[in-house]
Formats: sequence, C-alpha cells, structure tokens
Amino acid sequence: METNTLPNSFTVPIGPQHPALKEPGHFQFEVDGEIVTRAYVRLGYAHRGIEKAAEERNWIQDLYLLERVCGICSHIHALAYCLAVEQLANAQVPPRAQAIRVLVAELERIHSHFLWMGVSAHEAGFDTLFMYSWRDREQVMDILESLTGNRVNYSANLLGGVKFDVTPAQIDPILKGLDYLEQRTHHYLNVLRSDTMFLQRTRGIGVMTRAQGEVMGAVGPTARASNVPRDLRVVAPYAAYPQFPVKMVLDTRGDLQARFEVRVQELFESIRVIRSILHDLPEGELSVRLPRRIPAGEAAVRLEAPRGEVFYFVKSNGTDKPERLKVRTPTICNLNSVVRLVVGHQLADVPMILAGIDPCFSCNDRMVRVSRIDRGSEQAMTWGDLRKYGIDHYKRLSK
Amino acid sequence: MNAVLPILHLFLFPGGLFLLALGLLYQWFSRKLLALLQNRIGPRWFQPLADTIKLLSKEEVIPDGVNPTLFMGLPLVALAGTLTAALYVPTAGLPPAYGFPGDLIVVLYLLSLLTLCTGLAGANTLDRFSLIGATRTLTQLFSYEAPFLLAMLGPAMAAGSWQVGVIADYARGHWLILAQPLGFLVALVGLMGKLEMPPFDAPEAHTEIVAGALTEYSGRSLALFNLGRAVELVVGLTLVAAVYLGGLSNPLWFLVKTMGLLLVLVGLQALLTRLRIDQTVGLWWRYGTLLVLAQWFVMILVWR
Repeated sequence: METNTLPNSFTVPIGPQHPALKEPGHFQFEVDGEIVTRAYVRLGYAHRGIEKAAEERNWIQDLYLLERVCGICSHIHALAYCLAVEQLANAQVPPRAQAIRVLVAELERIHSHFLWMGVSAHEAGFDTLFMYSWRDREQVMDILESLTGNRVNYSANLLGGVKFDVTPAQIDPILKGLDYLEQRTHHYLNVLRSDTMFLQRTRGIGVMTRAQGEVMGAVGPTARASNVPRDLRVVAPYAAYPQFPVKMVLDTRGDLQARFEVRVQELFESIRVIRSILHDLPEGELSVRLPRRIPAGEAAVRLEAPRGEVFYFVKSNGTDKPERLKVRTPTICNLNSVVRLVVGHQLADVPMILAGIDPCFSCNDRMVRVSRIDRGSEQAMTWGDLRKYGIDHYKRLSK
Repeated sequence: MNAVLPILHLFLFPGGLFLLALGLLYQWFSRKLLALLQNRIGPRWFQPLADTIKLLSKEEVIPDGVNPTLFMGLPLVALAGTLTAALYVPTAGLPPAYGFPGDLIVVLYLLSLLTLCTGLAGANTLDRFSLIGATRTLTQLFSYEAPFLLAMLGPAMAAGSWQVGVIADYARGHWLILAQPLGFLVALVGLMGKLEMPPFDAPEAHTEIVAGALTEYSGRSLALFNLGRAVELVVGLTLVAAVYLGGLSNPLWFLVKTMGLLLVLVGLQALLTRLRIDQTVGLWWRYGTLLVLAQWFVMILVWR
C-alpha cells in the first residue's frame, strides 16, 4: 500500500464514488498509457464504529448489531459472535441448533457467491450473466425467507442456539430449489469455462502464485484459487462441520479464471452439505439458556465466511456488556493482493481483479484517517483532539 | 416551391425531425430488446424521448479548463454530421434525397464525425476519465474505420459506382450478402464498433472510466451527443441494409430489414463480453481487415 505518488504521473482515481465500486473506497492507479504501474488504496469511508457501539450494548443487543456488520454475509457475523459468547459461558449448544446454523451459513454462501458472480461479470461488461445470476439468486433468497422469515439479515441465531426449527414440510421446497440451483450452477460453470470472449478477460489475469498468496495472507476463495489450503470449515471445523464435513476446493492456476471456478465449485459443495444436513438433521432442543451476565474471560473465534476468514475476539468482564470486541473481515486480508497484482495489468483489468477478491468495504473499515490537504501533512488526532474538533465544528455551524 | 422542398428535406423528412424521432424509436427498440434478452423489463417506449427532454431542460455545466466554444460546438458538429449523412442514404426505403458520384465516401466520413467529435470532446477536458476515454475512442476509430470502409467498398465495386443511391439500386436485384458474406460480417461488426455497442464499449466502459470521453458532459450537449448516436444507429443500419440486404425498395422493407439487423446486433451485444481496447485493435487489424482483403481477392478473381 504505497503512499507517495510520483509528481507528473498520470493517476486515475477510482472512488470514493465510482460506478465500479458498490461501496466507498478510494484507489489511485498510476498508469502508463493503459498499463498500471503503481496502485494505492485508502479505506475508511464507511467506518461505522460498530466495535465501539458493541461495548455500549448488552450481550443480546449486540447480536442484532453485529449481524449488520455485513449486508451479504450477515449470518456468519452473528454466528461468530454467538460461538465466542457460548465459549465464554461454557454452554453446550444442542447439535440440532448447530446443524441449522451451518445450514443457514451454507445457504448464505450460495447467495453470496451468486451475487459475486453477477457483480464480477458486470465489471467485465458481461451484463447478461450478471442479470441471470441475480435472477437465480432469488431462488436461494426465497429459501432463506421460507426458513427464517428474512431475505437478508436472517436473525437465525440466539445466544445458545437458533430461533427456528426446520419442519419436514419445509424440506421439500428447499430440495426443489436446490435442484434448480444445482442445474443453473452447472450451466454457469460451463459458461465460465467455455465462453471465449469471457475467458479472454479472465484467463491469466491477476495471477497470484501460492507463495504470494501465503506471504500476503490471502484468505478464502482468493487464496484457494492459488492453491493455498485455507478453509476453516476443513482445517478447524466449527459448529456442525465435524458432523457434516466439507471438501476443500483448490485450484493451482491462481488467475481470475481460477477464482471464478473455485467459487462455482464451492456452490456444488454447499449444495451437497445442505442436502446432507436436511437428510440427517439431528433431533433435540433448539437452544440452551445463557445467563444475562457472561463470565469474565476472553474468546477468539475464526469462521469461514463466503469471502474468507472472519475473526472475532470477545472479552468479557463479567457484566452484561462486552468489554472489548474485535472484528476482522476477509476483505482487509485480501486487499493487499489487489494492490500488488494490478501492477503491470491493463486498466481495463483493474475492476475485475478488484472484484475478484469479492471486496466488502463497510465490513472492513475500522478507522478513519483524515488527510488535511491545506495542512500538507497527515496527523493523527487523539480522542481528546477529535472531541474538541467536533465541538468546535458544531459551534461554528450553529453560529 | 423550389426553395421549399430542400427546407422540407432538411428539417422534416428525411432529415431533421423525422430522423430524430426514428433514431429515438430505434434506440428504444434496441434497449427494450436487450432488456428482454437479459431477463429485465426494459424502458417504456417514450423513455429515450423523455431522457432527451430531461437533458435538454437541465443546466449545462461547463467545467474549468476547457475551451467553451469547442465544448459547446463539438456536439453540434457531431449531430449535424450524422443528420447530413442521412440525406445521402435511402432513409425509410425512399431514394436518397441527394446524391452525387462518390457520396459513399462522404457518408462514411460524416458518420465518423460523431466518433471524432466525441474523442475531441474528451481530449478538450482535463478530466482523467475523459482523457483515457478519448484515447480509447480514437484508438478504436482507427482500428475499425479501415476494415469498415473496405467492407463498404465491396458492394461499390460490384455495382460499379461509389454513389449510395446507385449501389442501393443495384443491390435491389442482387443480395450481396450471399456474394460477399465476409464483407457483410465485417460491415455489421464494424457498425457495432462505430456505435460503441458492447462488446466494443471499452471507450465508455463505465466500470473503469465512468462515462469515458463524455464524463464531463451534462445537459444540452450530452443530449445532442445522444441524439447523434441515435441518428447514427439509423443511418448505419440503413446503409448496411441497403447495400448488403437486397436494397430498400419501400418503407415496409426498410423497417423489416433494419429491425432485423438491429435484432442481430442486440443479440451479439447480449452474448459477448466487453473487449479490452488492445483486444479490439487486435481483432480488427488481425481478423477484420484480413477477412475483407480476402473477400476482395476472391472478388477480383471471380467477378472479372
């Protein structure tokens, strides 16, 4: 993440508002003709202070707050938080609840990957694939709605279990929906492998070797497309993954094509796991009761979100509120690879390489750095400075 | 009466208002068709007209650092160029309003005026997206122009005239698409390049460079550019249909043939992924030009 740019260089700014970005982020690409020679990223436009807000709310309220860290993988955040709190409270969650949690997590993965496929195709100018994959995504949204009552923030988790049960009557429509999705996924895999024009835009673009992937700390499908075996569902199974194992999907090529194929192959894997969960859903309770005050201690949880590893650290001091909560989302791990990989590529490939990691800016923003152009230097503000600045600012406005 | 007729030609039919209306209609048709192919609903029939009226009524922002005369003048020249080109082609299936030997070349260059003006308009501003867009627009112009020109000269050679009206008359008895399939293919794809339709929309690829050369344009000037694009769509389709698809003997045939061509263009648009600008140039010079030259070679051997 370079900070200094050469004078007299031709820099293309992308963001914070740009059609290629669905969320605010700022990139600068120094180009020589069409070739990118240097890249710079600046984050922090969507910093919402969720971690601080979580410290102000009690354990139950935080569940709903943290589900809103990400609009796409909402369930995985609530799940990570629940697992951490349950670890602190030393609660044994019933197996049926864990299975339902994994069920929703895998449905969410299908929805996220379909969404990503559409967005990436759109970045390449292949809008037909975009429209079709989003149409098919509706199917999995309907399944999620039939299960949880919501299309986006499913709110499936409770501290100590899940809120809803899967009845036998619900299973048949879900299986039908999955059949349709599987058939469509076969079709998309075929398109991604055989469409010559699309292959021209993906094959050999943004190649990340295994060594690079390991050094840059890539996670999720981005890493797996470079043959880095990082999938927490396999290497550190949580919730019901020990009972319903997942096969890791790896690819050795490391280019955009591999990232497309890894994600599409993961769809098959998710569909298989969902079917096996629906077939062998363990009997039993849906939740256990957790105390209102969680015993003091620290817990760290790592889960595999659709985009890669999500990390949660929760510290309790024995009261009804967490003392500290830390969230790290996969985008921040993968962004580094974008800044490195775009160098030497054409400007036209930049949006695709960026979309290739499935970025989610509002999830990963943890701080804002303010650069004052008029002062010519960047300076960090302390909490006191910031407070004073805010008070002065509003005083000026109210005059 | 002698003075009235040219004015009617210029302002009502086939130039001027009629052409603008037809352009907007074709634009709607292509947008609607693309939407249906992409599983969308698409715009209502008056949407292009509504967009134009809205743009015309909006404030026009002239950015810092541009030459205002050029900034305002270029869209006018672009629209005027495409409208003038329409006078020499058999619009609506009627014989061309005007014609002189060699007007084919004039029509082709009048049609290029729009692209040229777009490129200059982009280069006139300081905006970095516009500059890259302008570079790409002009690069693309230089890549498709020669093959397209060669593809249009094939029928001219067969007809023995470089006048659009004469070629169209000749084509009425000869479906040149059968005799010169390669030329037709190149002309069709060249038309897509001319109109910057996907997959040749790298100059305005909005996920990379926002709106390309026209990023800084708003209001009236943007509306004029859009109208120019709409008219060019009609003129280009008319030209290709007239010389390759057995001429345009009456308005009905005109509608059927140009809409049929548009159907093919929109179908390709829905199927293909955007080409990078280097891929566009490679495609035209490596395949497009060679295909047309091969066609010419065969023609020279067989026809004579």
